[in-house]
Amino acid sequence: MQVRSLTVRLVSERQIMAKYLVKRIAFGIFSIVAVVAIVMVMIYSLMNRDLVFSKDSVWSHQSNNAKKIYEFQKWEEYGYLDYVTYTDYINDLAAAGEMDEATKEEVIKIGNTVSKDSKAVSKYVKEFTDYYESKGYEVERFDAIMLKKKYADGGRPYLIAHKDTSLPKRLWTYFSGLFRVDDVNFASGDVGERGISFTLYDPVYGGEKFSPAIIGNGTQHKYLLYFDSKFPYIHQNIVSINLGKSYSVNKGIDVFDTMTASQGSYEKSTVTFPTGLVEERADDLHTATYLKGSREASAANMSRYVDDYTNVTTKKNGLSKMGYSFVIGIIATVAAYMLGVPLGILMARKKDKLIDKLGTIYIVFIIAVPSLAYIFMFKSIGGRVFGLPTTFDMENPSSLMYILPVISLALPSVANLMKWMRRYMIDQMNSDYVKFARSGGLTESEIFTKHIMKNAAIPIVHGIPGSVLGALTGAIITERVYVIPGAGNLLTTAINAYDNGAIVGVTLFYAILSVVSIIIGDILMSMVDPRISFSSKDR
Amino acid sequence: MNYDLEKLGLTKEELFSRVDNNELESEKITAPKYSYWQSVFRVFFRKRINIVILAILALVILFAYIYPMIFTYDRYGQLMDGAAKHLTPGEAFKYHGFSIRWLLGSGAAGESTFDAVWYGSRISITLAFVCAAINMTIGVVLGAVWGFSKKVDAFMTVVYNIFANIPYVLFISVMVMLFNPSFWTMVLALTVTGWLAIAYFIRTQVVIIRDREYNLASKCLGTPTFKIAMKNILPFMTSIIVTLLATEIPSYISYEVFLSYIGMGISDMSLGRMIFAAESAMVTPGWGFEFWSPVAVASIITVVLYVVGQNLGDASDPRTHM
Repeated sequence: MQVRSLTVRLVSERQIMAKYLVKRIAFGIFSIVAVVAIVMVMIYSLMNRDLVFSKDSVWSHQSNNAKKIYEFQKWEEYGYLDYVTYTDYINDLAAAGEMDEATKEEVIKIGNTVSKDSKAVSKYVKEFTDYYESKGYEVERFDAIMLKKKYADGGRPYLIAHKDTSLPKRLWTYFSGLFRVDDVNFASGDVGERGISFTLYDPVYGGEKFSPAIIGNGTQHKYLLYFDSKFPYIHQNIVSINLGKSYSVNKGIDVFDTMTASQGSYEKSTVTFPTGLVEERADDLHTATYLKGSREASAANMSRYVDDYTNVTTKKNGLSKMGYSFVIGIIATVAAYMLGVPLGILMARKKDKLIDKLGTIYIVFIIAVPSLAYIFMFKSIGGRVFGLPTTFDMENPSSLMYILPVISLALPSVANLMKWMRRYMIDQMNSDYVKFARSGGLTESEIFTKHIMKNAAIPIVHGIPGSVLGALTGAIITERVYVIPGAGNLLTTAINAYDNGAIVGVTLFYAILSVVSIIIGDILMSMVDPRISFSSKDR
Repeated sequence: MNYDLEKLGLTKEELFSRVDNNELESEKITAPKYSYWQSVFRVFFRKRINIVILAILALVILFAYIYPMIFTYDRYGQLMDGAAKHLTPGEAFKYHGFSIRWLLGSGAAGESTFDAVWYGSRISITLAFVCAAINMTIGVVLGAVWGFSKKVDAFMTVVYNIFANIPYVLFISVMVMLFNPSFWTMVLALTVTGWLAIAYFIRTQVVIIRDREYNLASKCLGTPTFKIAMKNILPFMTSIIVTLLATEIPSYISYEVFLSYIGMGISDMSLGRMIFAAESAMVTPGWGFEFWSPVAVASIITVVLYVVGQNLGDASDPRTHM
């Protein structure tokens, strides 16, 4: 009887935990969406959209109406609005067969001012205006600007309709496009028989070496699943993540790719192209994507490829932005925990002794002094006194160049861990169970290792996932000071370049990491401490 | 009875004497006189180091606020004089003659680094104090409400969890871009969400203290909530608030330095901007002074403010008043 009731309780506990987790994850997703929405409002609505052009040399060379049209084009590209020109409208009508070529030629050019429109043009202009105004667009007409009976520079007349993208629509387009599953109907041209095939002998390796791969035809990526010699050895292109296209930071490339693409100089190897051509090149054939008509477009592609899957990325010898940030971040995190926790314990055990006082001075120094100041200090000391490299060099990588960035990153974490570990230990030292253990005759070291440390470590455990995942985002100052090509500067670069797509993408990435690390931290804490339960009654 | 007092070595006062029975007097409970703030300062000044640090703080503030009044800082005064640029203190003394102004040499435009440092400190310190005043006021008041009301707690926790995920840099830079990068824009940027973290911290403290036994007992005895808040909780919070203030004020100086360094700072020549502008001077031999001076002064200011605040926070905890 006793046993049965216990099992029932355990099951319900597990159910409660699952329920709680689902709730947490749902709330996490909600807050991620909210964060993206707020950021979108901030950058699309609050920020002056003219700032987009502040560093655009094309814009500053345009004048008059052409400048205005260029602005609308760019705004559409950056996702501010949707805009249609009268010319596009007429061309679409003609393409749909609703208008013959002769009429098109007649009406495609509008008059210099409204009063100068011909009758036929007026009719279509009215149609255009009515059609788009009924859809909520704002129709604007820029009259021609004349200079001595000729058009001034960029002074041709324009008629356009534009409509600002609303926040719900923008959110929906963004989140629905976040994951894209590759399908066989992607390629628009004639690619022969569409389908997915499986092979045990990857043609990239000459078709003789055993290496399974899934190859698609008609899909965006040619290789949907393949193995190679690079970590994590198995790669997929079936689901691609689109965090947001970058406009100015890394033109036309997705933020996620910007973060994960390898950097450095080209790594050449012997490549056997599909036609059988063998060349020394850095091309990574596994990354081939479909580009309509690209094979015909150049003689080089003709000689190498048998189909339109010619768009390949190149192999480079360096890590990606995220890779460098993560390597430095993870070493610093591990070092910080290995140093900070024991030092904090030591400080607590030797409370008010010399070591505690020295530790306190160090903590005060790190907390109070601006991080920039001590990072520069360590850079200067490390460079002058120890002769360590102070800048990052991707061309001549050595393990020495990681030392100073790792130290700079670990220093504040060590201080932080020391501070909290000491605090938690001292709090525990004054609790009743410790006094009881002492009165029971346990030795001080037994009390410390068996009782105090276990309890004091629980809040520390909570922060581990955050530190590990946080290493992915990189550190802004450290990476700038040591010229590390990491991910830390991506957000500030994107902001400085008014790259809306990249800003939203990076923010989403940060938000996901932070939500995930808090949830994992909570789970980890409940695993370490059986007293912490997810059922709401106990909390 | 008559004793020979001289012989016993006693004075007359030490002998017992009869006291009239006084009902009113016997009801009084006497305790040593206790004044909270007096005790705070008594404990604070008991430590000798605090006096030294306070003296340094006074000196820093004197230099930051009075010095620029006496010596007007002219950044571009020596712009045309090529020989006056990037001087070490020794060279500057030789070139300009001995003056306190050339104690730290001269900068990229031939300006006095010493002048620039104090001029920048004034902006940075003012920024830190203004931001701290705004954030602490809003944070403490809203944090207290947040902690006391269960309804507000549920709503605010959701708001906090969302806003905590927005990169701080993004918030600040959008603010700086929205308006021109002036002093008050920076204040707005640092306060628009800065109070949230403080309010959350205060909320947690209030929640911890709110349900303590002595407060429950007080509630059972019929004490109104406002009185509990003022008499039972506020004294406990004073030391927490002062300690928080000690970390907050230096952190705004650090933030300002950080933001200026990544190119999102204010247009005035604050300490952060000086560091940003002189970064290239760090690696150039002989130009070190113009880079390390603002770094050192920023560090001194933040450390002094932090230590004074921490020790004041310790002293304002009534448990140390024994």
